[in-house]
Amino acid sequence: MKRWRFSLRVKLALVALLLLALPWAGTLYVNEVERFLLRGQEQTLLATTRAVATALHERPQLLASSSGRDDEVEAILFGVQRASSRIWVVDRQHRVLAVAGDLRRPAELLQQSWWQPLLGWVIQRPTEDFAAALPESELPTAPEIAAALQGTPATRARQTQDARAVVMSAAHPIWSGDEVVGAVVAEETTNPIVSMKSEALERLLLLTLGVFAGAAALLIAFATRLSLRIRSLRDEAESAIDARGRITRLAAGSGAGDEIGDLSRSFSAVLERLAQHHAYLESMADRLSHELRTPIAVVRSSLENLKLSPQGADAARYIERAEEGLARLNRILGRMMEASRLEQSLSTVERSRYDLSAVVGACAEAYRMAYPEASFAVELPERRMEVEGSPDLAAQLLDKLVENAVDFSRGGAPVRIALGETGGAAVLSVANKGRSLPEGMRSRLFGSMVSVRETGDPAKPHLGLGLYVARLIAEFHAGRIDAADLPSGDGVAVSVRLPLAWK
Amino acid sequence: MAGASAAAAFGYIHHEMSRRIAIIEDDPAIRANYAEALRKHGFEVAAYAGRGEALGALRTRLPDLVLIDIGLGADIDGGFALCRDLRAASASLPIIFLTARDSDFDVVAGLRLGADDYLTKEVSLPHLLARIAALFRRAELAAAPQAIEERLERGALQLDLKRFSATWRGAAISLTLTEFWMVHALAKFPEHVKTREQLMRDANLVVDDGTITSHIKRLRRKFLAADPAFAAIDTVYGMGYRWKS
Repeated sequence: MKRWRFSLRVKLALVALLLLALPWAGTLYVNEVERFLLRGQEQTLLATTRAVATALHERPQLLASSSGRDDEVEAILFGVQRASSRIWVVDRQHRVLAVAGDLRRPAELLQQSWWQPLLGWVIQRPTEDFAAALPESELPTAPEIAAALQGTPATRARQTQDARAVVMSAAHPIWSGDEVVGAVVAEETTNPIVSMKSEALERLLLLTLGVFAGAAALLIAFATRLSLRIRSLRDEAESAIDARGRITRLAAGSGAGDEIGDLSRSFSAVLERLAQHHAYLESMADRLSHELRTPIAVVRSSLENLKLSPQGADAARYIERAEEGLARLNRILGRMMEASRLEQSLSTVERSRYDLSAVVGACAEAYRMAYPEASFAVELPERRMEVEGSPDLAAQLLDKLVENAVDFSRGGAPVRIALGETGGAAVLSVANKGRSLPEGMRSRLFGSMVSVRETGDPAKPHLGLGLYVARLIAEFHAGRIDAADLPSGDGVAVSVRLPLAWK
Repeated sequence: MAGASAAAAFGYIHHEMSRRIAIIEDDPAIRANYAEALRKHGFEVAAYAGRGEALGALRTRLPDLVLIDIGLGADIDGGFALCRDLRAASASLPIIFLTARDSDFDVVAGLRLGADDYLTKEVSLPHLLARIAALFRRAELAAAPQAIEERLERGALQLDLKRFSATWRGAAISLTLTEFWMVHALAKFPEHVKTREQLMRDANLVVDDGTITSHIKRLRRKFLAADPAFAAIDTVYGMGYRWKS
C-alpha cells in the first residue's frame, strides 16, 4: 500500500475547508429567522381575521341578510387584504360569503437578482406557479375553519395540492351574541418568507464562495512561497556537500527572519562546523606526520647508536625487527605527507602546455614493467591531446589510479587505460574488473583518508589518500574526477576529465 | 648497507680525529643520540639546545661543521636565523640543516640562506656521516691547490668527484651535496633511466617521490640559470629521469 503524501499546499487547502463551517452556521441562523418570521406571519393572519371578525360582529345583519356573496362584506375585506393573501368569509353552512385577494403574488413584486440564474440549481426559489385551491373545495376539509365555526380561532399550515407551496391559513369565528354565525379565513403562502430566506442563503453562499476563494488563494500563495523556499533550501542542502565531498555554504533564506531563515542559518552553522571538521581531518595527516617524525628520529638514532656498541646476537635480531617496524612507519608517514605536500606545492607548480597522450603512453609503458603480474590494455588517440598543467602531476595522478586499479583487479583481466576526447575535454579513464563500488561510497571516494579496502598488506599501508591526491591533481588541471561501476557491473572505472588547452 | 658503503666509497670516516662538529637541536634525546654517535665516529661534538646559547659559544670558536634544526623550541624559525648568522661569520663553514620540516618552502629557504645541504630527520646515521665526510672533503680541497682530479665529463658537464663541484659549459654550478650526487647518478650512465628509488639510493637520501621531483626541479633551475638552453635532464613519465647527452 502506498502511503499518501500530502504536500504543504494540499494540507493548507484542507485546513481552509474549515471555513465551510461559517456558511453552515449562517444557514442555521437563516433557518431560525425563517421560523420566527413564519410565526409572525401566522400571528399577523390571525390578527387580520380577528379584525375582520370584529368588524363583522358589529354588523351581524351583513351575514344574516344574504344567502350569497355580499358586496359590502367584500368591501370590508378589501380594506384589510394584502398582496399575496386571500381573505374570505364563510357562514355556518360553509358557504362563502365573500372572497378578496389572491394567493399568488403579483409579478411586479418578484425581483430577480443577477446571480439567481447561477445559483438556481443550488437554492430553490419559491414558485408562484402552484395550484391555488378554491375556497369552496377547501371548506369541508379545513380543520381550522371547523374549529372557528366551533368558536375557537385556529391556524394551519398546509401544502397546496401540487405540493409546490405552503399556505398558512388562520380562521376566526364571527360571533353574533352567543353564537357563531360564520368565520373569517385569511390565507397566505409562505412564499414571501421563503423567498427572503432564499435570497439570504444566496447572498450567504456568494459571500462564502468569495471569502473561500480569496482565503484559498492567499493560503495557496503563502504555501507556495513556503514550499518554494523550503524546496530551494532542500536543494541547496543536498548540494552543499558535492560529489567530491567538498562543503559549500548555504545561501537560500539566510537573511529571512522567520523559521525557514533560522533553519537555513542553523544548516549553515552545521555545515560550517562540518567543513571545519573536514579541514581538520584533512590537515590531520599533515600534522600527525610532522609530530611523529621527531619521536621516530629519536627511536632510529637510538637504534643506530645501539648498533655501534658491541652486542649479542639477540640484540642484533631485535634491532633488525625494530628497524623494519620503523621503515614501515616511515612509509606510512611518507604516504600521509604526500597529500599535504602536494597541496602545499600546487600553488607554486609551474603550469605548462603538454601532450597528455605522450605522458599517458610513457607511463603505460612503465607500468608494464612496474607491475609484471598485471596486464594492461591501453587505448591512446592518434593525435596530440594538449592540456594545461603539469606533466609530472598528471603522471602522479595516473600512478594513483593505476595503483588502485591493479590492487582491485580480479580474475586476471587487463587493466584498461584509455584516453579520448569528449566535448572539448580529454577524458582519461582507468578501468579494472573486480568488485563494484560499495553503496554510498561513490561520492566520498575522493576525500582525504577514505578507503574502501577491506584488508591490506601490512607492508603496503593504505590511508585512503591516493584518490584524494588524484582529485587534487585533477582540480589543479581545472578538471574533475569521478568513479563509477562498469556498465557490465563487474568492475570499476575512474575517469578524469581535463579541459583541452586552447588551440 | 647502502649508506655505509656510500660513506665508505668516499673513503673516510675514522681518520679525522680532530674535527669539531656543533649540533643545534632542541630535542634532548635526538641531540644526545647524534652527539654520541658522532663522538663514536671520532668527532669532537658540541651540542646546543637553543640559538642564543649556540651563537654565544660558536662565535668565540667556530666549529668545522654545523648541524642545525630549523625549529628550536619556541623559536620556530630559529635555525634559519642561526644559519644566517653563522654564514655571516664564515663563508666557508659547512652547514647542514637536519630537520623534521620538509616542505619545498623550507628547503628553498634553507638553501638560499647558504646551507650546504638540507636533510630531513629520516636520514640514517651512515647517510649523515657520508655527507659530513663529503662536506669536510669539499672544504678541505677548496683551500688546497688543484691536485690530481677525479673527474666525470659528459659533454658540457664536468663533475669533480673530490670537491663535489660541477661546471656546465665552463660555468660553475653551485650544488648541494644531495644535488651533486643526483647529477652524478644521472650523468654516470647517460641515456639510462634512473628511477626515483635509484636516485634516492645514489644520493644517500630517504625521502618520497615528491621530494625527488622537487630536487630535480631545483637542479634544472640551477642549470637553466647558467644556460637557458639546458635540457639534459629528461623526465621519463612513470619511471624516472635520465641524462640526455
